[in-house]
Amino acid sequence: MHKAIFYKEWLKIRWAVGLFLLLGLIVLVNIFLNVRYGVRFMDAHDYWYRIIIQGANYAASLKYIPLLVGLGLGVAQYFPEIVNQRIKLTFHLPIQENKVLLIQQGFGLCCLLLVYALYILIFVMGSSYFFPAEVIQMQLQTILPWFLGGLAAYSLTGLIMLEPLWIYRVLYTIIAYGFVSQYFLQAVPMAYSRVLWVFALLSLVTVIVVLFSGYRFRKGEMHHG
Amino acid sequence: MYAIECNNLTHYYGSKLVYEDLNFKVEEGKILGLLGKNGAGKSTTINIMNGFLHPTSGECLIYGEDSQHLTPATKEKIGFLIEGHIQYSFMNVHQIEKFYSGCYRRWDSKPYWELLSKLKVTPTQKISRMSCGQRSQVALGLILAQDPQLLVLDDFSMGLDPGYRRLFIDYLREYAKANNKTVFVTSHIIQDMERLIDDVLIMDYNRILAQQPVSEFMNKFRQFDIVLENPDLEFPQTDMAVNIEQILDKVSFYGYATLEEVKGYLSRSGIGYKSIREQEMSLEDAFIGLTGKY
Repeated sequence: MHKAIFYKEWLKIRWAVGLFLLLGLIVLVNIFLNVRYGVRFMDAHDYWYRIIIQGANYAASLKYIPLLVGLGLGVAQYFPEIVNQRIKLTFHLPIQENKVLLIQQGFGLCCLLLVYALYILIFVMGSSYFFPAEVIQMQLQTILPWFLGGLAAYSLTGLIMLEPLWIYRVLYTIIAYGFVSQYFLQAVPMAYSRVLWVFALLSLVTVIVVLFSGYRFRKGEMHHG
Repeated sequence: MYAIECNNLTHYYGSKLVYEDLNFKVEEGKILGLLGKNGAGKSTTINIMNGFLHPTSGECLIYGEDSQHLTPATKEKIGFLIEGHIQYSFMNVHQIEKFYSGCYRRWDSKPYWELLSKLKVTPTQKISRMSCGQRSQVALGLILAQDPQLLVLDDFSMGLDPGYRRLFIDYLREYAKANNKTVFVTSHIIQDMERLIDDVLIMDYNRILAQQPVSEFMNKFRQFDIVLENPDLEFPQTDMAVNIEQILDKVSFYGYATLEEVKGYLSRSGIGYKSIREQEMSLEDAFIGLTGKY
């Protein structure tokens, strides 16, 4: 059963996964071309000064990409389920309703983390060509909240899309916007490093909120609107 | 044990009553047709039966289990056709078979491919690019391959042309009877039902008008066409008639009374008539006669 559900989810999101891998690759290549340009063709000393002393972030153009990936995967996974209320088919499968949602969500999350892991791997590999480990560590602590924000956005997209009533969807969207934007407020390097674990914990908690919309759907809330 | 047993089912949408204390049972191996006008509560009943709506009160049991908390083992016994033959249309015909075959232990792909061989589709054809009729065959084929004990088919005739409707019905009846399956079906095209169902359950707003074997219903429920002597006479209401429809001097009298009983009523009430004759009815005529045109 798990394998069959993974297969269905993969059919829904495979194009989005491919597209986002490509997009990430383009953005990251662009980032390191800019770094190379800064180091080799501009004043290398000045560039180093901006990165090390002034705390400039050479990965700034990556900022909203994890968010886009989270939103995109969430939509790719849940939009086909809400068209014509196809989620009824999913809930009708011979498996407990919460369990099937968690398997779907878990699979989507794994794909999302895989995309993120590849981004980070390429980022670390590219960075290690130009910078020492200390700089890379600092940059990682700066960019990690963006990925955690993308993860929360993914989970909340499921909550919003499966919600049966439009008014609640709007309400959830406003709350989700306020919540996710917290991950992107500070541009200062390592601004979140002390509270990174809190953000990580919050992002993990959002993974299960989709169960609430599933429960509301099965209760028949859409018929009361 | 009954395949379906609804006890004292009551449902309100906000303050609007859909029905109160609805009771019905479906025996195993029977094909039951749920008929009702739009808004009579057919979809509400289907949604409650499938656990997509909590009733205000009462319960609906599927093989003895509350429909709101069906176990995976019971869900495996139920084949569900959603109104409009909804399926995962982002898949192609091969992918969808592969997906469902991993979900059901009793999966037998033979009837699925057998039905699909009648269509001019390739295994890589996406369901979203199929006609409504073709999609109906995919949805039916998937249910048959699942090999459920109970088939719940919500408005299976929606969007189908007469040929596909006939194909669907004939295949379904043959399959259900050969394998002792229970079928709970709704359709807004009642003429289809006559070929398919054993028992009929007719719902009107807030209540059940009839639940019995369709042959018994067709034998007992009658229509009499009466031509009045006085076209200005407004035909009086009577308990003997379930429904009376009058256009000038022509009266259609629907009910469970015999011809003699109606004649007796007319003479006792002093209603002069030129002629009276029993009209043969199809199930659709009987349905309209029972529920009224409006």
